[in-house]
Amino acid sequence: MQRGNIVEKLHTSEEAQRAVIERARDALGGIILGKNEQITLSLACLLARGHLLIEDLPGLGKTMLAQSLSRVLGLSFQRIQFTSDLLPADIIGVSVFRQNRGEFEFQPGPIFSQLILADEVNRATPKAQSALLEAMEEQQVSVDGTTRSLPEPFFVVATQNPGDQIGTFPLPESQLDRFLMRIQMGYPNEDSERELLTGADRRLMLKDTEADASPEMLLALQQSATAVHVSDALIDYIQALVRHTRESADIEIGLSPRGAQALVAASKALAFVEDHSGAYPDDVQAVFTSIAGHRLKPAGGTQFRSPAELCQHVLDSVAIP
Amino acid sequence: MIQARGTDGSLLSSLPWTMTALAVSIVPHLPYLPIWISIALFGCTIWRYVIEKRRRSLPSVWLRGLLALACFLGVLVTYSTVSGVGPGSALLAIMAALKLLETRKRRDQFVLLFISIFLVMSALLREQYLWSFPYLVVSIIVIMAAWLRMSAAHDETARQTFSTGGRLLLYAAPLAVAMWIFFPRIAIPFWTVPIDTGTATTGISDSMSPGDVSKLSQSDAVAFRVKFEDTIPAARDRYWRGLVLTVFNGRTWSMNDPFAGSRVHETVTEKGDPIKYQVTLEPTHQPYVFALDMPWSWTLERTFMGPQQQLVSARPIDQRVAYDAVSYTGFSTNADLGNYARSWYQRLPDASNPRTQRVAKEMRSAAGSDNAYIEAVLRKFNTEEYFYTLEPPPLGNNSVDRFLFDTRRGFCEHYASAFAVMMRAADIPARIVLGYQGGEVNSMAGHLIVRQSDAHAWNEVWIEGRGWYRIDPTAAVAPDRIDLGASDAAFQGVGAAWGLSAPSQFLHQLSMTLDALDAKWNDWVLGYGPDKQNDFMQRLGMHDPDWQKMMLTMIGLIVGLIGLISVLLALRYRPPAKDRAAILFRRFIKKTGLEPGTGETAKRFARRAMQTGTLPAESVESITAAYHDARYGPTDEFAIARLKRAVGTMG
Repeated sequence: MQRGNIVEKLHTSEEAQRAVIERARDALGGIILGKNEQITLSLACLLARGHLLIEDLPGLGKTMLAQSLSRVLGLSFQRIQFTSDLLPADIIGVSVFRQNRGEFEFQPGPIFSQLILADEVNRATPKAQSALLEAMEEQQVSVDGTTRSLPEPFFVVATQNPGDQIGTFPLPESQLDRFLMRIQMGYPNEDSERELLTGADRRLMLKDTEADASPEMLLALQQSATAVHVSDALIDYIQALVRHTRESADIEIGLSPRGAQALVAASKALAFVEDHSGAYPDDVQAVFTSIAGHRLKPAGGTQFRSPAELCQHVLDSVAIP
Repeated sequence: MIQARGTDGSLLSSLPWTMTALAVSIVPHLPYLPIWISIALFGCTIWRYVIEKRRRSLPSVWLRGLLALACFLGVLVTYSTVSGVGPGSALLAIMAALKLLETRKRRDQFVLLFISIFLVMSALLREQYLWSFPYLVVSIIVIMAAWLRMSAAHDETARQTFSTGGRLLLYAAPLAVAMWIFFPRIAIPFWTVPIDTGTATTGISDSMSPGDVSKLSQSDAVAFRVKFEDTIPAARDRYWRGLVLTVFNGRTWSMNDPFAGSRVHETVTEKGDPIKYQVTLEPTHQPYVFALDMPWSWTLERTFMGPQQQLVSARPIDQRVAYDAVSYTGFSTNADLGNYARSWYQRLPDASNPRTQRVAKEMRSAAGSDNAYIEAVLRKFNTEEYFYTLEPPPLGNNSVDRFLFDTRRGFCEHYASAFAVMMRAADIPARIVLGYQGGEVNSMAGHLIVRQSDAHAWNEVWIEGRGWYRIDPTAAVAPDRIDLGASDAAFQGVGAAWGLSAPSQFLHQLSMTLDALDAKWNDWVLGYGPDKQNDFMQRLGMHDPDWQKMMLTMIGLIVGLIGLISVLLALRYRPPAKDRAAILFRRFIKKTGLEPGTGETAKRFARRAMQTGTLPAESVESITAAYHDARYGPTDEFAIARLKRAVGTMG
């Protein structure tokens, strides 16, 4: 709270906040081409204090997105490559006995960073997965009876490779719920790919990118995103959507209250990124697939080939009050 | 109670509504309530409001209990009973006022509104005028509004509340009408309204002292209305026979000793054409029934003709009744008056009115025959200085003496009384008939209005060979009274002296219209009893109507109507407009002529609308922007104004 007050003093200027967001969007858009929607969503996810799950094939720029985010927003970055022999200690850290001093010393793991890229999270065993997910949930870790807080802001970007089925442990639904959003990268369009092929090396570009924001600024942005106005009319709409997911015959498991909260938080964050006077139905619709896609369980035998299609169907069937 | 708990002021907004509803429902009772109850009502209301306003605490249980007991005793003392309409409504009103003093929560307010509804209904037990119905509707709407107000949102305007209340009543109206028409009326009511014992009887009473009728003649109240089948007879033939007074005690005429006349069988011979008509008689709380002199047949149940051709009902006329009657204005009565009856009709108290008796005897012997004597007496009234006035001086005990020789001013009752005494003093059998004379024709409705001011007294004398026949001494003094009717005569006589003129044509027209409406209302609404219902059912095509058929029809109609109303409501249902911005945007959608898709956001709709190319892009953009700000942003009156302007300029 104390910290919050200082942050407020330093970064309350609306113009300053706006400028940071616009510059971050521009910088990210310059590195990751043709993926404006994903960039905006991941920014919103970050501002809504949520964690992001990117699910797609290798080579589509998942890692690049995460790295760019940390670079542009000035966050400390750690990448954890999940493998089948990864242990919780490899994520959290271990206490090492220092013989010269005759005492244990905690060696922090990669989780003690502001932005974590958990690459191919489904390759690790459930034990290792849950170590990460618990840290995400609690914002702190306990080692040898000592509770250690994780840095602020704390943002996890996990990737999952849907193509590999052998020897993987896909995250169960209950764990998926820990991620605020799940997005897909998808192939770039022709023009973007051409520019990618002919243009400069993205890695070098990333190195040259200057950090524009501080972690303090990011906290202020997160606060502003929470303060976005939500009208009764919008809550009506969100409730109508949630009710539909619970009552529709196409859907076996609808959105939970936590899912509904996530929808509100993400809509507010997106409205903030888009500089809207309040959260609009357009914001709700824009975040809906990434919020609900991994939370809804379609009923057996429905015609929907992907969660995105199912979510779009929900949006098309619910009238905006 | 050690520490006084103040009110929290939470009822401050709804309490005035509850009080208004209570006030509206009490107003019809006010003229009948004792003054201390009205004062207590007013006081309690103010007291309660001040308590709420100043956050004071409500009076303690002891004080309230004491007040309740005191008020109960007060009513008991005032009315000397607690049953009946008068004390009942007084009790209801005062307890409602006391209930205000313990109104703490919304639940108490509901109780108060229930009492208000009871008060409105109990006012109908007392009187049902033409304006009672509109007033009833208004008070029910006010009570409904107060009811709705308790659960209303803070920003709801009074107009919205009233329109909601009115709409709810409108939905209920068809059901009420169906129940009113079809609920079986039966001749003997399930329960009888306890008639207020305190209510004075109205109209003519069964005795006549000087001043009785002239008091009546100040009253404009309708006594009865008559609808003639053919033409309305001339004013001089419109004698409405009521009761016959036979006993005189020196001051008061009364109808003592019903056996006196019953020993004599009076036969009436009708002459001329029968006159058929229908009378709607206002309640008098007395048994007398009025009909055109001389009644021949009538349809009122349990009503009999007395020995002197007066109509008497077996039970008092406590409700408005309508009956058909046939009369002959030409008739003669032949009675073989026996010695006993003859002496009965000649009897005078010995010591009373000595001057009159002496003069009568002198005049009789001077006249030579009974007929000549009657002529002479009428001539005396006509030619000597007698004045017809509504405000005669007081007369004292030997009233006829005082009137004939001293004051010489009087009203019909004085002349009738004096005439009868003079006849009896000369041994001519005479009696007084009380009833009404004349009446005002309402050309608008085609009926005759007979008012209390038309009350009249005249004489019947018995002449050997001719029987009883009517003599109206008032006609000898003031022929206008008989030819023009009471009110006109009054204006030309007394009224003119005071500089008054007859009511203007417009006012007259207005009062006639109201009277016509009132008559129709009485006839069709208040008079909708078993007979009318039976007629109506047959006209609707129900064969041989009985209560089972009516009940079944009623239940069927109610179920049907509820179904119909539900379907209509379901068809009419639109998702409620959340706010003004939504309404304005809907207007914009209408103007575009496009149909928004399900789940299509305003932004996407606007884009689609712009693609049609027919709409100015900038105004669509400004509308969309303003709409979003107004509807989804923080409260912003400017955004709504912008939206309104933008939608307005679209044309």
